[in-house]
Amino acid sequence: MSTISVLGIVLFILMTLIGGKTGVTAFLSLIFNFGLLFLAVVLISWGFPAMGVSLVIGTIILAFTIFFGEDNEMAAKTAYIAALIVMVALILVIFPVEHWIMAQGFSLEDSEDLEGMSLTIGVSFVGVAVTEAILSTLGAIAEASIAIAAGLSEIIDQHPHVSASRLYIDGISIGKQIIGTTFNTLFFGFFGGFLALFIWFSGLHYSFGSVINNKIFVAEVLMVLFSLIGVILTVPITTWVMTLEHRHATKQED
Amino acid sequence: MNNLKQQLKRHWGLWLTLLVVLVGLVGVGLTRLDAPWYQQTVASVTKVQANQHNQTTDEFNNTDVSYSQWVTVRILNHHHQGQTYRLKNTYTKSGAMDQAYRVGDQVFVRIPKDKASAVTIQGLKRDTALAFVAWLALALLLLIMRFSGLMALLSVTLNAVLFYAAIQIDLMTNGGHLYTLFGSLAVIFAVLTLWLVLGVSRQMLVTLGATITGTGIAVIISLIVFAATKERGVTYEAMQYVTQVPRPLFLVETVLGSLGAVMDESTDIVASLFQLRQERPDISANQVFKSGLQIGRSIMGPLINVLFLIFMADTFAMTLLYLRNGNNWGYTFSMNMSLGMVQSLISGIGIVLAIPVASWLASRLMPRKVGAA
Repeated sequence: MSTISVLGIVLFILMTLIGGKTGVTAFLSLIFNFGLLFLAVVLISWGFPAMGVSLVIGTIILAFTIFFGEDNEMAAKTAYIAALIVMVALILVIFPVEHWIMAQGFSLEDSEDLEGMSLTIGVSFVGVAVTEAILSTLGAIAEASIAIAAGLSEIIDQHPHVSASRLYIDGISIGKQIIGTTFNTLFFGFFGGFLALFIWFSGLHYSFGSVINNKIFVAEVLMVLFSLIGVILTVPITTWVMTLEHRHATKQED
Repeated sequence: MNNLKQQLKRHWGLWLTLLVVLVGLVGVGLTRLDAPWYQQTVASVTKVQANQHNQTTDEFNNTDVSYSQWVTVRILNHHHQGQTYRLKNTYTKSGAMDQAYRVGDQVFVRIPKDKASAVTIQGLKRDTALAFVAWLALALLLLIMRFSGLMALLSVTLNAVLFYAAIQIDLMTNGGHLYTLFGSLAVIFAVLTLWLVLGVSRQMLVTLGATITGTGIAVIISLIVFAATKERGVTYEAMQYVTQVPRPLFLVETVLGSLGAVMDESTDIVASLFQLRQERPDISANQVFKSGLQIGRSIMGPLINVLFLIFMADTFAMTLLYLRNGNNWGYTFSMNMSLGMVQSLISGIGIVLAIPVASWLASRLMPRKVGAA
């Protein structure tokens, strides 16, 4: 058996043992997300516009990640609406920035991997860069919106008549803790993965000026920054959606 | 007068934040003028004239359009400053390695010593756009989190400095001590980050213990699986930007990549359990352990997805190129996505294992009365 399948089985067993039913559904969401990612590449390679593909696939990935990971229905619904709003807001940032900064496709450092390949494939690589950036932020957005929505719905459960302004303050204070630790997840996630590239830069004595203008480096840092912006936006937006839902729910009760 | 002072005192945080944000924006603008600081020759595009375009078809029947344009640039620094050149730029519609230039772009150019050779554009100057996005992220961080956001920023900065230092040491030793070097670096990262977030306390020690144990066991399990399956399907040769032996580099990347997520999770679980004990001092160790599992259960799925999407999104452009170059899905997957997949799975194992470890450590090592200490 291949290493990937054995590691996958180990992960599945561990998630089932420790997470029970939640663990099984979380593992399923991982498999679905992989399928969706691969589908996204295939669709783009068949000529579908990158922007449309990322919107549709992004919406589905958020749904799988949020509804498979959270049992509380009200929290999950709030988290999903908030995550969708954040995704659209982020696209409005990512799209113009990617067209301004032109850090798409490949760089001279990729030459060896590109040997014998035809690069004139008729697919806009700026569009692909937009897709990459959007999809890489979705995990962080989903995680943050779930955490905040779950925390707030617990507060509402305990104090059903909590005021909207109080709820907002609570949401921001939960958000502060989340942003602090999510910073680390993102920082290590991206930069740990690019150790080889940094060794390359240092080993070949790239100047500071050439590193901060390098296509690959810029593309990588942009992804971290977009994810960060996404997580920061998630805090007030999730809280806002939660207050709306709460107001709606209390009105119906009266 | 007193009233004004009070007003100022109450709002100084907001004013200071706005000031920092505004100064930052000016700083972003100033990167348009930083050409004298560059060793490379920087030029500004003053005029662009479209030339001709024609349709191309490659051997896999992909159609593309190749364009050429005349670009007029004015040199901004060093001894050619002020001179203008007119040069030809060719680019494709897909823009995999080339791009169109627009009026107002700043570019790096190469001016050869002998007059006969042509002046060429080396690439776009991206620092202004990058600074703008960084400014946007920081401004939002400061506006929402005020100055507690600075602590998170400080920890990232310190970690980046350490990371840089470790790379320098690695290069000096030619990658000979990669495991020792980056293994200790991972521990130092964890200690430093958690110390900045939690201070030196029992809570920090428990979190640290959970992070290191969780990651450690995940690595051991993975190495056993590697040995048992003889690393079938792990295509180290497909690793990008490799200048040293790929296998150790890959393992180190995986450990560093998952470290932040495991810390994130352990911090959440341990903090909630310490709070639980504070609220209900008579709760038994077993109940604490069970609550820990309960909390971890809801975090692990989303967290594994965070890393998975980060690791996989990177491979998009190359995967697409493979597919359009007539490769089948299986080969394309194994050459581009399999390493990211292995990385995600190992990280996932670490994230799941940290849950029982953190819960168990917290349930045994928590002082009886947290509030009294």
